Amino acid sequence: MAKAFGVDVEMTILPRSVMMTVWDSSHEKSMAMNEKLPAIPLNFHLISQFSQLSWKVRDVHIGVDDAQVELENILSQPRLNAYLVTLLTGLGNASFCRLFGGDWVAMFVVFVATINGFYLKSILHKRWSWDMRLATLAAACTSSVIASVGFVLGVTATPDIALGTSVLYLIPGIPYINSVSDLISGHLLCSLSRFIQACILTACLGIGLALGILIMNIQYF
Amino acid sequence: MFLDILSDGLFAAVAAIGFGSISNVPVSAFKGCALLAALGHATRYTLMHLAQWNIMPAAFVAAIVVGLLAPKLGKYWNTPVEALAFPALLPMIPGMYAYRAVEGALLCLISKTEADFNHAFYLLNNNGMICVIIVMLMVIGVTIPIQVAHRKVNG
Repeated sequence: MAKAFGVDVEMTILPRSVMMTVWDSSHEKSMAMNEKLPAIPLNFHLISQFSQLSWKVRDVHIGVDDAQVELENILSQPRLNAYLVTLLTGLGNASFCRLFGGDWVAMFVVFVATINGFYLKSILHKRWSWDMRLATLAAACTSSVIASVGFVLGVTATPDIALGTSVLYLIPGIPYINSVSDLISGHLLCSLSRFIQACILTACLGIGLALGILIMNIQYF
Repeated sequence: MFLDILSDGLFAAVAAIGFGSISNVPVSAFKGCALLAALGHATRYTLMHLAQWNIMPAAFVAAIVVGLLAPKLGKYWNTPVEALAFPALLPMIPGMYAYRAVEGALLCLISKTEADFNHAFYLLNNNGMICVIIVMLMVIGVTIPIQVAHRKVNG
């Protein structure tokens, strides 16, 4: 991409900021930038669009202005509908319950628990701008309280699986994967930072689940 | 048995789309993600239940399968390989092990006798180690074939 614009680029990527230095082709003038990274949620659609744009710059040689326009275009695209995401997450977690051997009633319990927990998390995080970790804790607690209906009412033969899988949608899977992927490519600082962040979220999830179990007074362990 | 493997793949596909949608996977890549996740998870299920493998090597081989197919599907659906392969790995993330490790740590804190503490500490370490090793093996397994395919294309 840099070659297409006739410059050389050196980048340093840190967990919360990016440093970038650009030289002209004869290495006489340089310009450095240090940009803070906003904490935006993961967005694979954006990544794919950026990737396509970078290929376009390299292969079709569109100019800086055209690329700028296209960049603004990409950034203004909305995310998937929030209700659809909630529904899909519920279905996904319910089928996860099935993978662990839960029956149909357990799947339904997990579906309801997930939808409620996920909705609560997004409301707390986005509308009330709670901290992500606190929101995760609250969501895990809510989900586990709802999922413990299997223990309380005895409607399903696999209440333990329903309770165990009801909080799995909160596991930060992509950060874990990215952390190892950074580790492989040698970005140790980023890798460690992502791993610790993911671990903190998992710990919040665990505390929330334990709180839910404590509230409902269930012998789970 | 064949039906079990098929349903395992089906539910893994639904789970991949569900968890992928949280990270805003492009709608055009849903099909590819679902297919990869189904193949990967079904591979792991087959290895674990028919061949009686341990979960760790089974997850490694399943990730290699995902990594082998992802570049071809990525070209077909015109998406970067990572946007297909990483969400496809999501159903295989050992989330259960991850939070069982946290529960183990909590049990450590409230344990009253040495035997209780030892058991809780065992739970923490056993689950934590298995979780970390599975994630590492999975990402290594998915990266190697993708890198090889990348090298082939670039010369």
